[in-house]
Amino acid sequence: MKLGYYFGGRASRLVPYLLLLPGMLLYFFVSLGPSLATVFYSFTDASGLLGAPMHFVGLSNYQEFLFMGQNIRDNADVLVRTLEFSFLVTVIQTGLGLAAAMLLNQRLAATTVFRTVFFLPVILGVTIVGLTWTLFLYPVGGPAEKLLNLLGGRSEFLGGPPFQAFLWVTWVQIWANMGVTMIIFLGGLQTIPSELVEAARMDGAGGWQTFRSVTFPLLTPSLNTNLTLAIIGSLQAWQLLLVMKGVTNGTQVLGLIIYAIAFGRTSANPTSVAMRQGYGAAASVVLFVLVLIIGMGAQVLMRQRERRVLG
Amino acid sequence: MRIQKVFLAAALIAAAPLCLFSQGVTLELLIHQNAPLVDYITSFNEKFHAQYPNITVNVSVVKADELATSTQTRLTANDVDIIDMFGFAQGIQPFMKNADKPNWQTLIEAGLLMDLTGQPFLKNYDASAVRDAGSFNGKVYEVNTGRYAFTGVFYNKDLFKKYGVKVPTTWGQLVAACQTFKKNNIAPMTAGGKDGWPVLVAGYGILLSAYPDQAALVKGLWTGSITWNDARSLDMWKKMQVLARDMIEPGASGIAFDAAPGRFASGAAAMLPAGSWDAPAIAAANPKLNFGYFPMPGSDNPADNKYLAGKYDVGWIVAAGTDKKDAAMKWLAFFSQPENYQAYVNATGIMPTQPTAKLNTVLGREVAPYLANFRLGYELLWVNPKGFGQWAQPNASFFKPFNQWDDARKLADQAQADLDAGLKANR
Amino acid sequence: MKGLPAGFSRRASSSRVVMFIVLLALAAVYLGPLLSVVNVSLQTSQEFSLDPTALARQPQFANFVTAWNKANFPLYLRNSLLYTVVATAVYVLTAVFVAFPIARRYVRGSGFLFSLFVVALFLPYALIPQFQLMLRLRLYNTPVGYILLFLVDPIGIVILVNYIRSIPRELDEAAAMDGSGYTRFVLRVLFPLIKPALASVIVLHAIGIWNEYVTPLIYLPKKALMPITRGLMVFYGQYGNDWTTLAAAILMLTLPIVALFLALQRWIYAGVLQGSVRG
Repeated sequence: MKLGYYFGGRASRLVPYLLLLPGMLLYFFVSLGPSLATVFYSFTDASGLLGAPMHFVGLSNYQEFLFMGQNIRDNADVLVRTLEFSFLVTVIQTGLGLAAAMLLNQRLAATTVFRTVFFLPVILGVTIVGLTWTLFLYPVGGPAEKLLNLLGGRSEFLGGPPFQAFLWVTWVQIWANMGVTMIIFLGGLQTIPSELVEAARMDGAGGWQTFRSVTFPLLTPSLNTNLTLAIIGSLQAWQLLLVMKGVTNGTQVLGLIIYAIAFGRTSANPTSVAMRQGYGAAASVVLFVLVLIIGMGAQVLMRQRERRVLG
Repeated sequence: MRIQKVFLAAALIAAAPLCLFSQGVTLELLIHQNAPLVDYITSFNEKFHAQYPNITVNVSVVKADELATSTQTRLTANDVDIIDMFGFAQGIQPFMKNADKPNWQTLIEAGLLMDLTGQPFLKNYDASAVRDAGSFNGKVYEVNTGRYAFTGVFYNKDLFKKYGVKVPTTWGQLVAACQTFKKNNIAPMTAGGKDGWPVLVAGYGILLSAYPDQAALVKGLWTGSITWNDARSLDMWKKMQVLARDMIEPGASGIAFDAAPGRFASGAAAMLPAGSWDAPAIAAANPKLNFGYFPMPGSDNPADNKYLAGKYDVGWIVAAGTDKKDAAMKWLAFFSQPENYQAYVNATGIMPTQPTAKLNTVLGREVAPYLANFRLGYELLWVNPKGFGQWAQPNASFFKPFNQWDDARKLADQAQADLDAGLKANR
Repeated sequence: MKGLPAGFSRRASSSRVVMFIVLLALAAVYLGPLLSVVNVSLQTSQEFSLDPTALARQPQFANFVTAWNKANFPLYLRNSLLYTVVATAVYVLTAVFVAFPIARRYVRGSGFLFSLFVVALFLPYALIPQFQLMLRLRLYNTPVGYILLFLVDPIGIVILVNYIRSIPRELDEAAAMDGSGYTRFVLRVLFPLIKPALASVIVLHAIGIWNEYVTPLIYLPKKALMPITRGLMVFYGQYGNDWTTLAAAILMLTLPIVALFLALQRWIYAGVLQGSVRG
């Protein structure tokens, strides 16, 4: 197979390179470079203030973040919470998205309207979604509390015990992003040929059987896309947490804590906390390792399953 | 027609050099969200502009918990001139090993704060305030404008009278007062639980009664002579639990910090344990309200409850890299003029740091008897050892319903364990 | 082939009713919070303090007027649109000129370059050095600096490369023989051919920029530069206890966004779908 270049001779051979350059330069300076520089910063005590002295401190940032005193417990808490967040979001969002897609696929009635309603939060954005739910979860007689009272319970929702608040924010994250999952599954469902489904029916398979043996395996590409997007996205997502809870102990995930450390907001009463961007960079590298392990691990598992299921 | 056009053209040409001469200057000012402060600064800037027409002031407002971040990032980017910064706190003391420097110190050492030593307007202020709240290594970097108390409790005088409750001077009396109100379906206390820190502040009065010498407390914790789970501290934790669980109304975790004064002013709650900075908001929400302020009686011994502690609040710092130094100094000088400063005090209810100014409000009168013994609060002095755990803080909001703890003994032990982790790691 | 929807059941119409009820319930979960915002935006402050779920007695349209006056919505909306449109347009242009030669191996080291982009999903969080870079380039608190941060997106490159590879090389050869230069080929011939992939890249990228909250929090402290996401939070910070006005503000932002969405929805769905199939 000839891999030639067709668009001209000596001088014009340079054209692809020249036109490639802006994009590549941008990528290096805005994305790749800074990512690598993070590793460099993690070995310093940089505060982030221009003009402030910066020294090499070797591994002491990592030592402090992972092993010093109660940081072992507190930061491990944050790591665990990050994993919990990612797991819950991935599993529930994917499941709910699949259910919604299956339901919409039945073409019952007003499909377009339902589809719009479910996809709306994706477009509205994190601030509108966060504030809408903050209102809905208002603990002094708000709608959610009224509903809960009907069932005989009461709750402080976002203001109560941190784990509870965390679960609520997780739920809102799922609610907000299910629309994308659903659309991707819808697309996948539409690629399944009806003959296969009919054939399964003829063989006497019921609804659930058909799903398990025909539909679900054939949805594997969409499933893999959704899982990848959800896993990696949720490991790095924390904007909603910032909007709904802010920087408070007990509800943070790793991304949020990196921001808090880097920009001096690590205390409930942050009048005098200094920015610590070297330390924050070390925390970023820890997050990177986490994403790498889980992300790559998930990729491997998904490829294996894909081969097994689709042959 | 033609002649008029010629005149117009000539006028414009003549005016042009004038425009160049009176080039407008815009000062960038950064303050935190506090309704009376924002209102006062807005009207003050108009007055200032009338006095100096070529200087315009552009104000940015951020929430209090974003102030430190905004300060550092904008100073680093050098796109701000004057910033409101709380009085210098949490300085490192000799017995504190391996502690993180506070942000104002890192800013000074990075050369980002302007040295204000010797500026004429500094003479208008209390020398001790200038020294304690705004100086480092003998140089002045901040002009502090006043103090607030935060260990007191606002109370509704009419409600107290109606139910025959007297101002409590011991913990037992406070508990009884709360029970009286509950029996009559009035919430004993309210607080801005949604933002977290208002409940923390509400507990500071109990902390003060347990340890009236807060500086000694800080040193004792660092050196180990005081612990968070000794008898005295345990008593304090127990009382904090009562405050969070029984005294503050249920649902307070939904009330934002700036909604609490309004709720108190409406008569829904009899008391509001909060900082004295809420006084103007209370008065504005209900001008007819008869309210007062008493120190939180966190002890059964009335002698321990005679003090008020607080903090140095708003102070002005100037960016070292500003190219409008002249305009900035004019602004500070105008602000510090006694009549303007008095207007500031009246608007914000701050306890003045200028000896000539008086706090002529309800709050001023209530607080006056305690000013002689005013002391700096714990949070101003305490520095966390690296590696300390998150529970090593005397924070009433750790208790249910605001957080997960419902056993004072267990929290006390955990707090000390968390503190020990940090102390040990740095020994 | 577009077959019948999988799982389509002709017979059991009672199960169809059940499924419809489930759909309705889910829709209620989605519309409920938004409806409560509508209700609160029409209440008075007293009504809200007494009972946030009570139906507004007399609709207080004054809330909307207050919100409009106090907040700067036209400004925030304009900023969001500006950043999204400009950044996406510039990005797409540079991206195609990166993806095309890599897909066709017209540049040396295409394989290596491509793997750089694939790896990007997993790179360390670049926030801190980016911040330092912006400061030193004096691009902090400027629209140019902010847009600059969104001119890269490795996922888009991957999607484009994969799609371009499916277009036959012979097309290039034929066009070249017809006298077309490289640039003209890309702009005139390639762009129309890769429309589905372009749609997905544009949509994914645009939604990402539109929804950003943290980046403007860090890089755009000037109110005049804030996009909607940040502007609304600033409004909330200042008037946080005034929920009736705040609800009105939220609604006023929601409506134009919904309108935009309904107008563009077909493209948006197509974009998301295309991205999933190829990505």
